[in-house]
Amino acid sequence: MGLVAREIEARGIPTVTLNMLWPFQRAIGMPRVAAIEHPFGRPFGDVGDTETQGSVLRAGLALFETAKEPGTVEHLPFVWHEEPKQTKWHPAEPSPIIALMKKRREART
Amino acid sequence: MNNTLREVDPWRFAGSFLERILSGGIPDEPNHPPIPWTPVTKPLAQSKVALLSTSGLSMKGDTPFDMEFERQNPTRGDSSWRRLRADATAAEIDANHLHIDTGYVERDLNVALPVDRLRELVAEGVVGASAPSHYSIMGFQGNDSSDLVEKSAPEIAEAMRSEEVDLALLTPV
Repeated sequence: MGLVAREIEARGIPTVTLNMLWPFQRAIGMPRVAAIEHPFGRPFGDVGDTETQGSVLRAGLALFETAKEPGTVEHLPFVWHEEPKQTKWHPAEPSPIIALMKKRREART
Repeated sequence: MNNTLREVDPWRFAGSFLERILSGGIPDEPNHPPIPWTPVTKPLAQSKVALLSTSGLSMKGDTPFDMEFERQNPTRGDSSWRRLRADATAAEIDANHLHIDTGYVERDLNVALPVDRLRELVAEGVVGASAPSHYSIMGFQGNDSSDLVEKSAPEIAEAMRSEEVDLALLTPV
């Protein structure tokens, strides 16, 4: 998504990219990144948690006004309400690429 | 201007398996062309905002993102894009993404595409307006992002410009 943000920014629309895997975004070279420590699938907050969803949106949009130079990475202070072990975000079946990698790994051992 | 008071741990929810296979792909030193930069010229309270999600969202009735293509080609992903009505509800949206549990966004769109929260910020005067359209792509592109970047991204930018979007917030899966 970082490359998409670069294209849109280059075409005259300022972008902020919310992201968990911010080191990738930093490596690609992004105008404005808001890093967030939320599980995949629910970046803004849990189902029905309107307060967190609104706060994350507000914090992401604030970067349009506070970021002064390309490459800005702002670490948002939100803490997910569950421990990772209790947080379910994986699909019911492994994605095709993960299934392929696991198969290759098993073939090697 | 990096705020390092408390760094986000990118692997906290990803887990050690994904960390092992993904972290090797991050170069130690940034190695990218100059970063594009379009200055923000208006206050947020006067700006029209569009959202772009990578969650593989489409309006019901529209062509859904093609998951069969990725099942047949695990190192590739559907590179197309979809327009979403800004007043869409979860019941009107399909979510197709093989790398996450899409059940959450199917119950509450705002977990990944905060359309209702954006409308509330407009009502409060924090944001000038919501664009009439939001957008989605399907974030997983495997080892070939070229169609997404060279075809879909410019088309999305053009669609945003035709609706006079001032600011685009990209939201992850």
